[in-house]
Amino acid sequence: MQWWGWLIVAVVVIVVLAVAFVAIQARRRKGGVIVGKPGSGPGAGPGGRGAA
Amino acid sequence: MSRLMRTSEIASLPVVTLAGDDVAQVKDLVFSADGGAVAGFTLAGRGLLAGPLKQGLAWPKVVGLGPDAVMVADEESLEPRDEVIAAAASTVEGVGSGGNVLGDRVLTDSGTDLGKVVDVVIDVGPGGAGQCDVVGYEIEASEALSPAGSKGGKGTRMLVPLPDTISVSKEHVMVPAAARDFVTQDLAGFGASVQQFRDQLRGPA
Repeated sequence: MQWWGWLIVAVVVIVVLAVAFVAIQARRRKGGVIVGKPGSGPGAGPGGRGAA
Repeated sequence: MSRLMRTSEIASLPVVTLAGDDVAQVKDLVFSADGGAVAGFTLAGRGLLAGPLKQGLAWPKVVGLGPDAVMVADEESLEPRDEVIAAAASTVEGVGSGGNVLGDRVLTDSGTDLGKVVDVVIDVGPGGAGQCDVVGYEIEASEALSPAGSKGGKGTRMLVPLPDTISVSKEHVMVPAAARDFVTQDLAGFGASVQQFRDQLRGPA
């Protein structure tokens, strides 16, 4: 393959990886609504409802 | 005056300090199954390439929650994410799941499937601060919820009020069968439905 063929392949691979990375990060940023764990203690950490 | 908000309105809101610095954005809302108090938020970084942060924001550190931003005093208000999640831990054995309730099925204690949770409704205290509680689920209604079609068909979005203590397993959230009588489609009138539902559960004084 000519050198420019390898260049095109390299560019395509980089673009695909970049798009995949952005898509994965967007998915990881996606929000949810988490309910606390069962029976683990009264407002355990700082800032809990039991906290002053 | 308190106001009702859907958690989908809060997801991705920027977390801004009083100095005007944009330090993070909201990822997850974390709440306790005991009374549904919001314990805080997990956070993600700002920008296209950013992922989740190891820091969270405890609710007491929130100065104000508005339609466009979550306000904090300064960047020191952020604390480890695990501590925020631990603050939502239930004091009651078997209550809570530690998981995400979006997508869970809503079952009544009489065994009726009301639908799938698509959003959560919270009651934010006056000025976007003070107490903040989860008071209801927005669900995609099952056929069982409206057999006569009186309150919309299957897949219609409806609001189900919650009791003070919320039962959640890995796949299901449980509500008393009486919740079915207080289902509404309108967020404006939902606060009154929640109050009436909880009053009925408490019974006559």
